[in-house]
Amino acid sequence: MKHQPLYLFVFIALGFMLLFSMGEILWGSSQGKHWTEMLFLGICHNLPDRTFSADGYFMAVNTRCFGIFAGLWFGWGMIPWLKSITDQKKWPIWVLLFAVVIQIIDYTGNLFHIWENTNHSRALLGMALGIAIPTALADQFQIRKTKKTDR
Amino acid sequence: MMEEEIQSEEQKTISDFWPSIAVSGGIFGVIIFALGLVFGYMQINAEPTGAILSPLMLSGVVICLVVALAGGVAIWHYTKEETPYVKLGQGALIGFLTGAVLVVVSTVLNELWHFIDPDYTQKMMEATIANIEAMDMPAEQKQMMIDSTAETMRAQQSIFQQILYGIPMYGILNLITGMIAVKIFGKKKEQETF
Repeated sequence: MKHQPLYLFVFIALGFMLLFSMGEILWGSSQGKHWTEMLFLGICHNLPDRTFSADGYFMAVNTRCFGIFAGLWFGWGMIPWLKSITDQKKWPIWVLLFAVVIQIIDYTGNLFHIWENTNHSRALLGMALGIAIPTALADQFQIRKTKKTDR
Repeated sequence: MMEEEIQSEEQKTISDFWPSIAVSGGIFGVIIFALGLVFGYMQINAEPTGAILSPLMLSGVVICLVVALAGGVAIWHYTKEETPYVKLGQGALIGFLTGAVLVVVSTVLNELWHFIDPDYTQKMMEATIANIEAMDMPAEQKQMMIDSTAETMRAQQSIFQQILYGIPMYGILNLITGMIAVKIFGKKKEQETF
């Protein structure tokens, strides 16, 4: 496997992101705005009714973002096993593009009341995007063997 | 010519990356600052309809999507201006630093805007709370949203917190898009022969 330190660094960073995204559920409540919510303030709206909660404690991110982070971490962990299906293939990039477009379609459809998405559907779609990202990058971590040509 | 480019790729230092980081981080910093203002004033001037997805909420989604492009644009710029041979690790570093630069640029511009419109945050908080109060939901949930919004806006007034919390998140987001851009825009030399 190539770029092992980078792979491990991102895997650990994504792991921390996933843990931080659990918010009050994992890290306990606090006075005022929770520090984990502050961390994700710029990238996630964190509306209470669109956020998973347990016993009155809320996650730091909404359901779609949580799905993305969970998918990213899981997919990143799968990179060493994705070689045979992704090596030198174009489909992972198309799947990634599709996963991005499907988020926009789902968000827009809900916004204009064409359909109503739920916390679980948003989390599942987010997870699909999260998994699509490491899948698209998997071949970058594999050593590519090429035939030597005589000159 | 190609061999020279490949060799020089090995010798690249962080100073070679800075022009692309500064261009992309600077441009996207200005873009997200401008988008924030547009959505902010839309919120201030909007009637409190009680719509759950107010301009302010929409801004979060739009800004998040736009921000994620910065790392990719930095790599595209680097492959056009410096060398098309870029390593994955270099892409990750360029992406992360681009995220950091755009956070600093947009935060500084936000602070400067308070000299032009000192009541901006207060007006936006009032407009957002008025919209939440018009929402059709249980009083307890409504109060929770109002408290959360007020706390969020108060927290955004601290330049130190904006930078402290913004850099790791926008950095990692752009680190990932930077790596994706390496795959799309970068050229590769052969890795191993047998």
